[in-house]
Amino acid sequence: PPEIRAATRARTRSGPAPVTDVAKLCVCDLLVAQCDVNCCCDPDCNAADFSLFTTCSVPIVTGDSRLCSQKAAIYSLDVEANPPERIFKLIDQVNPSVFCIHATNYKQALSFSSPEMPTSENFDQLLKRFSSATFSAEPDSWNMNTDAQNPSDANETYRYEYGVPIQTADAFLRLPSPVVSSWCSDANPAGFLVNQATKCTRSVSVENCGNIQAVSMLFYINSSILAVNITVQSIVVQSLNGMRTLLNGSDVLRLPMILDELCINIVLGVSYHITYTGAGEIIEAAASFVLGAINKEALSIQQSFEISFTQVNTKPVPLSGNPGYVVGLPIRAGFRPQGYPFPIEIFFVALNTNKYSQLTILQSTSNQDCLAAQGARTPILFGYNMISGCKLRITAAMKCKPLTQTLLDLLKGQSFPEYVASFGNSQSQDVLDWVPITHLHTSEQRIYNTFQSSCHIPVSLEIEVKWTKYGSLVNPQARIVNVTASITTTILKQLPSRRERTIPITSSVVFTDISSPAEPGYKAWPTINAKLPFDFFFPFV
Amino acid sequence: LSSVPLQMLFYVNGIYYIFYFLATLAMIVYKSQVFSYPDDFLAPDLALLFIMAILEVLRLYLGSKGNLTEEEAPLGLSLAITVGSMILSVYFLVWQTYVLQADVIINAVLLFTYGLESVLKVIAIAAFVS
Repeated sequence: PPEIRAATRARTRSGPAPVTDVAKLCVCDLLVAQCDVNCCCDPDCNAADFSLFTTCSVPIVTGDSRLCSQKAAIYSLDVEANPPERIFKLIDQVNPSVFCIHATNYKQALSFSSPEMPTSENFDQLLKRFSSATFSAEPDSWNMNTDAQNPSDANETYRYEYGVPIQTADAFLRLPSPVVSSWCSDANPAGFLVNQATKCTRSVSVENCGNIQAVSMLFYINSSILAVNITVQSIVVQSLNGMRTLLNGSDVLRLPMILDELCINIVLGVSYHITYTGAGEIIEAAASFVLGAINKEALSIQQSFEISFTQVNTKPVPLSGNPGYVVGLPIRAGFRPQGYPFPIEIFFVALNTNKYSQLTILQSTSNQDCLAAQGARTPILFGYNMISGCKLRITAAMKCKPLTQTLLDLLKGQSFPEYVASFGNSQSQDVLDWVPITHLHTSEQRIYNTFQSSCHIPVSLEIEVKWTKYGSLVNPQARIVNVTASITTTILKQLPSRRERTIPITSSVVFTDISSPAEPGYKAWPTINAKLPFDFFFPFV
Repeated sequence: LSSVPLQMLFYVNGIYYIFYFLATLAMIVYKSQVFSYPDDFLAPDLALLFIMAILEVLRLYLGSKGNLTEEEAPLGLSLAITVGSMILSVYFLVWQTYVLQADVIINAVLLFTYGLESVLKVIAIAAFVS
């Protein structure tokens, strides 16, 4: 109704009225209620302050200089006087040009226009006029007015995004987890693509073992993830003394029941494996159970839950970072299958899916004897410099070649990889994301004579990993650029019989940051674009 | 007898008006580039300038014809049109969007010329009527 509209217009706030009196304008008056230094027009300054100034930072305040006659306020410091004082003059400045503006009949000619204040009425129209591309706060599917909406979305499979809770028929797929204390809470929804593993305690007793829902298999596979049923992948039965056996037939639902004063078929652990497609749909869900038994004395059990996501048609490879390496996660490494260089598909086989045994170094043992080390190895974690070693006791009876081979095996391990992943999430199909390991051989002593008969045995392996920071300044990602494995050999002199010698064998890993410092980038200078409008002389041109 | 001063004034007026028209047009172009001159203020100014040009041509033709043929009708018509031209000149002097100092000068000269012409025309009409 027009009355309300008029009232709203009256209520519309407008910006503060612009100050046009040159005597009151002061550009350098920045501090409120305080005197700004060297600001002669500051009204907060008194004569004592003026006497301390050296110059006037703002000597003149004028209006638009294109006007024929305008007022100007001139501030200056009279340094001759003692103490120095400020002189303020208000004069009429005259523009001598013949093209000075005598008068204007256009109100907004010489000042910036006050912008329209947005109100609830004109907000949409202002937004349409002035806004550029924005991200919309509401997803398009909530807007019922768009024409391109497909109303039959209800029956299609849902597409998930990272972290979105997985929906089941009645609620969300739950992964019980401890909240505050270690008691299980059933309200933790499983997020899509969020691999979780939780452990919590649940109170049970033999008397009501059939009544507690959360220890029964049915509770975990009852709900179907919308179109996909949860199948039972495997069942492992754990006996009272902790021994686990895998059951052969896994399609039988085993519910808790009392048998010989024990309550059996109690769920001790569930592991969900969800298969998803690249488009974000869940196509398969499987659960593996660990069932156990409790006796009369047990008051609570510990349950462990796990959920993992695998993309369809891929083998799950654990990542060490996404995309840059995360400090503390193992380095991913692998081999390239032999074949003609650049075959159609090159796949780097990660050593095995155990991510901790891809690139390893010797692990020091307590007895420090290399030959008794028994192949204990420790994985190389990104960012952690490590050094390890052992002592090798050489007797006269040892032959050179087998000793060399043994030491090489000791230092490098059983299968030393050829390539290292440059990012924590490098896929094996991307050849360029893998960095070859460069091997160097150095000798401890300078070889003066090239006697082939002398025995060179490797005594140290140093792996140097050069990495750089990659990506944006705010969130740099670690990227491995170069890996060099240097083996240092020494000459083994033949020992007289029944003599022994001990030499130390070391292996080390060093991570060096070779990132170059960030360079600032600046925008190009703006250019002046002054042209007559295209159709200015319209009737004539 | 035709008024010689009036005829001289018409001649001078014609030349001066050509200069005035070109100068005002050039200054409007200058103003539109240097200042903020939105279209709905530019259009009336340009329109009035062209109307003034047409009126001026008509006015000078009628006045000259009336003076030379010693008829008072065209001269009277020219006088009436002079009033219109005067109003337009006042517009350009006072009510234009941007009035520059040069605008003030040339319009003042034009107004003075019109005033002188009007006086001479009245005298000529009085002479022809009687």
